[in-house]
Amino acid sequence: MFINAVFIILFLLGFYALIVKKNLIKMVIGLNLMEAAVFFWVISFSDIGGEVAIHKLNEAAVNFNDPVPQALTLTGIVIGASTAALLLTLIIELNKFTDTIDRDEIEGLNN
Amino acid sequence: MMSWMNIELNLLILLPAFSAPIILILDRINEKLRKIFVILSASLSLYFVTALFFANFTDIKKGSFFLQYTFDYFGGPFIINFSMDNLSLFFSLLISMAVFLIIIYSTSYIKYNKAKYYALFFLVAASIQGSVLTADLFTMYLFIEGITVFTTPLISFKKTEKTTEAAMQYLYYGIIGGVFFFISIILIYFNLGTLKIAETALGFSEISGPMQLTIIIFFLLSLIIKLGIFPIHFWLPKAHSACPAPVSALLSGVLLKVYLYIFMRIFWTMISFDYLIELHISTFIMDLALVSSLLGHIFALQEDDFKKMLAYSSIGHIGMILAVLMLNNQAAFYGAMLHIAAHLMMKSGLFLSSGYLLRTAGSHHIDELEGIGHKNRITFGAFVIICLGTIGMPPLLGFVSKWYILLAFLKGKHFFAALVTVLGSLIALFYYLRYISKAYAEVSPELKSASWSADFAELLHFLKGDQLMSTIVYVFTLLIIFFGFSFQYFDMPVNTAIIELLNPQKYIDLVLGG
Repeated sequence: MFINAVFIILFLLGFYALIVKKNLIKMVIGLNLMEAAVFFWVISFSDIGGEVAIHKLNEAAVNFNDPVPQALTLTGIVIGASTAALLLTLIIELNKFTDTIDRDEIEGLNN
Repeated sequence: MMSWMNIELNLLILLPAFSAPIILILDRINEKLRKIFVILSASLSLYFVTALFFANFTDIKKGSFFLQYTFDYFGGPFIINFSMDNLSLFFSLLISMAVFLIIIYSTSYIKYNKAKYYALFFLVAASIQGSVLTADLFTMYLFIEGITVFTTPLISFKKTEKTTEAAMQYLYYGIIGGVFFFISIILIYFNLGTLKIAETALGFSEISGPMQLTIIIFFLLSLIIKLGIFPIHFWLPKAHSACPAPVSALLSGVLLKVYLYIFMRIFWTMISFDYLIELHISTFIMDLALVSSLLGHIFALQEDDFKKMLAYSSIGHIGMILAVLMLNNQAAFYGAMLHIAAHLMMKSGLFLSSGYLLRTAGSHHIDELEGIGHKNRITFGAFVIICLGTIGMPPLLGFVSKWYILLAFLKGKHFFAALVTVLGSLIALFYYLRYISKAYAEVSPELKSASWSADFAELLHFLKGDQLMSTIVYVFTLLIIFFGFSFQYFDMPVNTAIIELLNPQKYIDLVLGG
């Protein structure tokens, strides 16, 4: 329950930043918050209180966390970091042309 | 353990993927070596797919063709799994052909930052092949994200304000689509404990009703964003018009088809299409796609920028294909598959010729194109033929595919859909005629090219550097004319690909059994 509440709050916070904020960098932060919320939920949900790490698994241990969600999340974090870096580079490039990072002042981003 | 069976499937992905760093290294050593390597690698990729096609020709004809490669890490839960059935073979063939031609075109179009361009291009090609061949949802997610990340620098390749904005918007929507896809696959994993497409297909009915709906909706949201269907379509014309011509051809001609393939894989093979009908989602998607198709054509009508017009027309065609797929019967699949092949050739050809025309006109605005039809007669003639194909003039390939789509709509008694198809063609006639009439406007005689004989004499030098661009445009034109007369050659691959859609159980049994 607590996990779901945190997930929803974080996700909506990111969504709010993405939709409402005019600053492009704040939009990137919002996007990353949304991703972080999903990753947080995945990791917490898959945590069943495992006792040993998967690579030290022996026959005596009975309780271990499923490694697949962790692997998925790790890959997701890497992808999230690279896309965020790419977005920030594009914002720097755009700033060279327009001298602003305000979404409303850049004509091409308004539909 | 590592298996050696069907290891050639990996080559289709690994060859372009490893070509990328090699190109960057070779460029430091010798530019000529890099140039040779680019063409060699592109032709090898094409060769492997065609070789696979001809080596398994009898199996394909019987409809029993299936290849699978599995690599499990010492019995652990992590398994790499590629598989190729008739559906993926059809797409793989089309994609390799288009990518090969576009790379040959690029060798004379791209003038600066060449090594970076080819490295990114090969990475995109590898991701495309990967997402077509994968039999595993997580790998599919990785390859989709790869496509998004690697195409973004290609869109902003020219580094102007317009291209940077377009790339940024493309990346934003790409990431949001990716997050939705991730949510869907993680929900599948928590419910079923597997990410293999075949195992998910078997267990999907055991998931509770609301959860099924959530998974389907997140997949749909993700793919609607990626395909540029109506409510979230505005990033597409910007992104597809900002980049260099060969990249536009890749995005509009090839990438949209890859997302259509993923759509089919997910909603026919993995999640049975009956769920979409049961939840009344299929009619909703069909209406959305039809509205998107009509709006795409109408927006194209009022667009003064040549490439943006082509991109809007892509929205119109993709909407039509998606709508006809929703009919879920053999006639509809036949029309859709044929139009996928036709649209791939026509849109790639149109975007590539737009790049060639840019060289002479200097701009894509409609006023700048005045009199261009007199200046390069033969290339513009080829361009007009491709335009007629897109509109749907007999006897070109575009007519055949549109005819079958129209027949499928009429057979299913969807008269509104049939109306949209005809209306779309009519509107397309007007917006292409706007440009063609401008191009043949009367201009002062010194702007015209010397004579017809000189034009034809130039044709003989078709393999020389600068002529390569127009040669590729002619190749696409000839393909459209040739397959327009003899579209029966598509019968066998298309019909065997349809078997996979009508009978997903075959794929599931083969993946799990072999």
